[in-house]
Amino acid sequence: MSKKVQAIYLWWHKPVVGQELLQSLPILKVIANSGVAMDHLDLKLVASFGVKMANAPRAVSSSTADTGMALLLASARRLVEGYHIAISSGMEYCEADFLGVEVTGATLGITGLGRIGYKIALRANTFEMNILYHNRTRREEQEEQAVGTTYCEKIDNLLQQADFVMVVVSLTPQTHKLIGKRELELMKPTATLINISRGAAIDQEALVTALQTGVIRAAALDVTYPEPRPRDHALLKLKNVIITPHLGIKTHKATYMITEEAAENLLAALNGLPIPNEVLPS
Amino acid sequence: MWYHKPVINEELLQSLPNLKILASSGVGIDHLDLKLLSSYGVKLSNTPFIVSTDTADMGMALMLASSRRLVEGYQMAVSPDTEYFPADWLGDELSGATLGIVGMGTIGYKVAKRAKAFEMKILYHNRNQRNKEEESAVGAIYCKKIDDLLQQSDFVLLSVNLTPQTHKLIGKRELELMKPTATLINISRGLVVDQGALVEALQNKVIKAAALDVTYPEPLPRDHPLLKLKNVIITPHIGSATKKTRRLMMENMIESIQAGLTGLPIPNEIL
Repeated sequence: MSKKVQAIYLWWHKPVVGQELLQSLPILKVIANSGVAMDHLDLKLVASFGVKMANAPRAVSSSTADTGMALLLASARRLVEGYHIAISSGMEYCEADFLGVEVTGATLGITGLGRIGYKIALRANTFEMNILYHNRTRREEQEEQAVGTTYCEKIDNLLQQADFVMVVVSLTPQTHKLIGKRELELMKPTATLINISRGAAIDQEALVTALQTGVIRAAALDVTYPEPRPRDHALLKLKNVIITPHLGIKTHKATYMITEEAAENLLAALNGLPIPNEVLPS
Repeated sequence: MWYHKPVINEELLQSLPNLKILASSGVGIDHLDLKLLSSYGVKLSNTPFIVSTDTADMGMALMLASSRRLVEGYQMAVSPDTEYFPADWLGDELSGATLGIVGMGTIGYKVAKRAKAFEMKILYHNRNQRNKEEESAVGAIYCKKIDDLLQQSDFVLLSVNLTPQTHKLIGKRELELMKPTATLINISRGLVVDQGALVEALQNKVIKAAALDVTYPEPLPRDHPLLKLKNVIITPHIGSATKKTRRLMMENMIESIQAGLTGLPIPNEIL
């Protein structure tokens, strides 16, 4: 069987692609990933076996951007807490002092303005949010104007001004623990941190401390490290945290589109044609 | 007046001979008997436009939370029994889906503006059609008959005032016209929906899910079936519950009260 495998379609990081697997599949030509992130793959290792790699960048953007906005809104308006109050048995309603924070007119700081970050800006724009962004490279002026966003060359400026900080970066050695104690302390005490990239982009222990001591107001995380978190971890117990089980692309439509994109990549590779979304080890 | 308290009735009005002005918080005035008030010579004001953006935001929050199963997801993420996140646990996307807005007033229009950026197709039903510019600004298509909107929508959002005409606007008939894959979102008043019919529709999968910021009464009795359904999100009427908006509402109400007491024209007076 293993002598016949020419292609692998990776679904949610399975199977685990390591030295052993690669050695056991002599005629493997291509690995197509479901989704855009490639941080779970050792790109150099795979390339050293002459195997090509591809990701699925387009299909993920709308659904992941939607997840970011869903978390932003749910956290700002304390939706999950509100739900528990609304359905709880025997608890006295105290409507008058249950308050959230405003989204419309607030300042959103997007770290990482790739495809997903840009779609978030498009959405946030209609909420009349003041949008700042920080990115490795600056976008074209037209692109910036189309979504009403302002570039912050230094992430510090973004952190100091934002009411909502949305982390939408790829996970690389440079973005590992991008948001740590220092960054959290630069944020406003009324600010909310939203992470839809990778758990490791945030120093989780520093985040727990920041949330417990009121350094920031709240956090909403679609990703953690690991997933799922150990059941006794402090993050799961904090009232001002919403955690979701990596919902980013978990919609029927996105799953379908991702698989279509991956199939395109696989077929191209197997037919010796240029691969639409080839990923090369940098 | 805050959250419909105190209850304004004949007894109260008789006991307050010098009452000049009643300032009600929020935009809804369905809890007040306007004829009764004017028969006692009491003027009335509300806080109409201030609540609109927060309420529209809440509508979007509920639509997103429901479609992406956010509350269920949260419970899975923090539950002590969770060992892994199943790969086939999926929600529905907003992009490409159809949103039907029932009631295209200030709040409904703001929802349309926001939903457009999520790449949604927008239909609306209103007493009157909006003008062409307003419609094309948000890409909204008018449905003269509510039935057309109900039959085509993946999400039906209610943002009407509560009046005798909109009382139980959404009942058994309307729910059955909706797609079995559709979600009902209510940010108007509980009484706009026939709650009994809604419970049945949800239990029998006539529609897929509901997300309600308002119910009748508020809160619901603790043993009410709506509280137990897995495909329902309920929030405790927090449509306008943000620090900034509440502060602005208070300021508005004080302005109205001061004007009422000094005999000046009252901002936001209801006639």
